[in-house]
Amino acid sequence: MARKFPLAVCFLFGVVMFLQYFSQHEAARAVNQAILDYWQIVFAFTLILGVFSFARNNVTEVRRGRDRVYRIVGLAGLLSMPVLALIWGIKADTPFMWMFENVQAPMQSTVFALLAIFVASASFRGFRARSLPAAVLLISATVMLLSRSNIGGFFSDVLPDVANWIRDYPSMAARRAILIGIGLGSLTTSLRVMVGIERTWLGGEK
Amino acid sequence: MRRLQARHYTFLGLAVVITVTMLLNIRLDTRVSPYTRALHDYIESLPPGSVLMVSFDHEASSLPEIRPIARSVLRHAFRKGHRLIGVSLLAEGTLIGYRLMQETAAEYGRQYGSDYVYLGFRPQYIAAILAMGESIRDTYPRDYLGRPYDQFELLRSVENYDDVAAVLSIADGSLTTHWMEYGQARYGVVVLGAVTAAMATTYDPYLASAQMHAMMAGLRGAAEYEKLIGIGGGGARGMLAQSSAHLYVILLIVLGNVAYFVRRREGRRD
Repeated sequence: MARKFPLAVCFLFGVVMFLQYFSQHEAARAVNQAILDYWQIVFAFTLILGVFSFARNNVTEVRRGRDRVYRIVGLAGLLSMPVLALIWGIKADTPFMWMFENVQAPMQSTVFALLAIFVASASFRGFRARSLPAAVLLISATVMLLSRSNIGGFFSDVLPDVANWIRDYPSMAARRAILIGIGLGSLTTSLRVMVGIERTWLGGEK
Repeated sequence: MRRLQARHYTFLGLAVVITVTMLLNIRLDTRVSPYTRALHDYIESLPPGSVLMVSFDHEASSLPEIRPIARSVLRHAFRKGHRLIGVSLLAEGTLIGYRLMQETAAEYGRQYGSDYVYLGFRPQYIAAILAMGESIRDTYPRDYLGRPYDQFELLRSVENYDDVAAVLSIADGSLTTHWMEYGQARYGVVVLGAVTAAMATTYDPYLASAQMHAMMAGLRGAAEYEKLIGIGGGGARGMLAQSSAHLYVILLIVLGNVAYFVRRREGRRD
């Protein structure tokens, strides 16, 4: 029963959502709206679950003395933002907004900017024309890099057009193939979940 | 002290190249691509007062790239007199979107409530996109600051996507895909994209199939858009750093390959 009931619910909701997609009837739209509301509510609860899980895990590790400083900073961040929001609100020029704009955003941008460092290092050490496909990739990358800067046109007026051609044909063909593959994969996985062949979401076979 | 290795010099070189270029403040001309022009022309073609939904579907990490992209297109929309509804489908984009809309609206003297409204964040983006197709009012009973939906003049005439000219997704990931798969495919809303450069090729197939109406991408797109609307901004300035970094990376690729072929030749001789 513990397995059959969730599987039945999953099948029922899968079929209902699939069928209502093709209907404009008032009842179908009402069912759709109600399910979407519940979907958002369930998702909101998963966020709460995530917060508690993060807090419990870090408190336990602080007690054990593992990476204590980092975990305390993480917990302080988790606690301080809702506290600031509750006391002073989330409007512009509040401490909450100040923390977001002057602490969180710059820190995240800094971490993201490290990518440039890795790209610089990789371009020197790993981007080699070892074979014909590697050489084609290297030349394409160089053309794209030049075209995505303001200096592409300085070397040749044709360069931006060549870059657009790479983007519109070989790149798009590969991307389409990937997207079609993802689509077919999603479809088969959904069907497997709905009919109960794929059951890992239940917590695995025991 | 540890001795510096080759990779440390490449890191240092990158920092020097970007800093020096930014200090020199060189002005480079930007050729406008057909992609950016299509987005500009679409927003330009809408009659003043059209309702645009702007969705801030990004995180804080991409802010240096997202800010000029968003500012350029928001400036254009406000200048044209369009009315904007701001939403966010990623929690981190919520505050950024609020701030960007507020700052840009202030530049053009636009009023909150009649010219623009910010509805904020809703969890689970697929459910939120689908739910707004039925009723934006039910999905967002209150705005970002907690005031009732019907309090705002702009929102009283907006029930769902039928009352919105287009949705502009400002994204640093694949969230725009969901706007097309659920908003465009199910409800027929026009989807526009303003995305980071890394995501441009992801959306090219959607652009070619007209599931996405128009798109601008990256700092380059922002610089092109700024040129089209005749307002200088972070895009053109950011392009300086990007162009110099790209040149530097190309130089490193060339140097790395020269070293590789020289070593390979020497290896064959031995």
